[in-house]
Amino acid sequence: MRLRPVARDGHGFALPTRRQLAVVGGYAAAAALYIVIGVLVTDFLLSVFVAIVYLLVVAWLVPAAVRRVR
Amino acid sequence: MSWAAHDLEPYAIQRHTRWKIAFVPLLFGSYSPDMMTKWFVYGIHLGPWELKAHDPAKFHRGWPGFGFTHSLLYGVVICLIFWKLLGSKSWGIAFLVGQWAHALTDTGDTVGTMLLFPWTFHFHVDAWAYAGQTGRMTDAAAYFSGLGGMWDAVWIVYGVFSWRVLTRSYFEEHVYTADGFWPKVNRFVPTSALLVFYRAAFFYGTSRWIAWTVWAHVIHHYPYDLSWGGPHWVHAAHP
Repeated sequence: MRLRPVARDGHGFALPTRRQLAVVGGYAAAAALYIVIGVLVTDFLLSVFVAIVYLLVVAWLVPAAVRRVR
Repeated sequence: MSWAAHDLEPYAIQRHTRWKIAFVPLLFGSYSPDMMTKWFVYGIHLGPWELKAHDPAKFHRGWPGFGFTHSLLYGVVICLIFWKLLGSKSWGIAFLVGQWAHALTDTGDTVGTMLLFPWTFHFHVDAWAYAGQTGRMTDAAAYFSGLGGMWDAVWIVYGVFSWRVLTRSYFEEHVYTADGFWPKVNRFVPTSALLVFYRAAFFYGTSRWIAWTVWAHVIHHYPYDLSWGGPHWVHAAHP
């Protein structure tokens, strides 16, 4: 039996597609780095604004820059 | 107090409301009760001076103090300001939902909240110790050693189960279209950046839950105490 994703409008559980898993992987890598920095320098964990800027840089600006260079 | 629930609850609310709800004011409402007060609860150093509330728990949750920010009435007042003065019903209601979620969640600790302010009675379930008065680091260690941290974990697991609310398609179909804020900002910022911004609170709540847990139990070896009202190795404040 092969499982496939089911689109259910945000309700109920469904399996992610490969593309979605790749996105999750990117965020997981960003989270791992954030956690390492945060454990070493706990002040880094204190502000949601710092987290927003961090995530915008890591998950949007850097990938956008890489795509542009390619 | 809760450390990550206020970041994560808006996504669960988003998932369960069949009507379109504006996400930014929902998140703003969820953060709002602590926005002006947390720094003074924990205290900050300005050169040789330390600025800190004399009675942090009372300042944070009580009266006299800023405890009214954790009341249901506070949410209603700000809702009416958004609705009647600024002309945005959707922002008003979304703020109300987020702020009420915060106020109700914080009844879980030993200080609780004055939900029905101006009645100054504190509603408190006493599931985990309020330790804000001990300073930020001890509070973090205590919170992530007791049922408070576990309560946050429930929201993380629930968020993972509801992962579709974090997808691009969900954002474009449900979140973006529910609020004029997104199209306005979209004139200057691409959709991919808005999507990252939308996901940021979930990222923040989940990541810092893991980070503080590692800090408390791998780096510092604070003992877990999942008994009701724990951890009992910290002095819990009461109303």
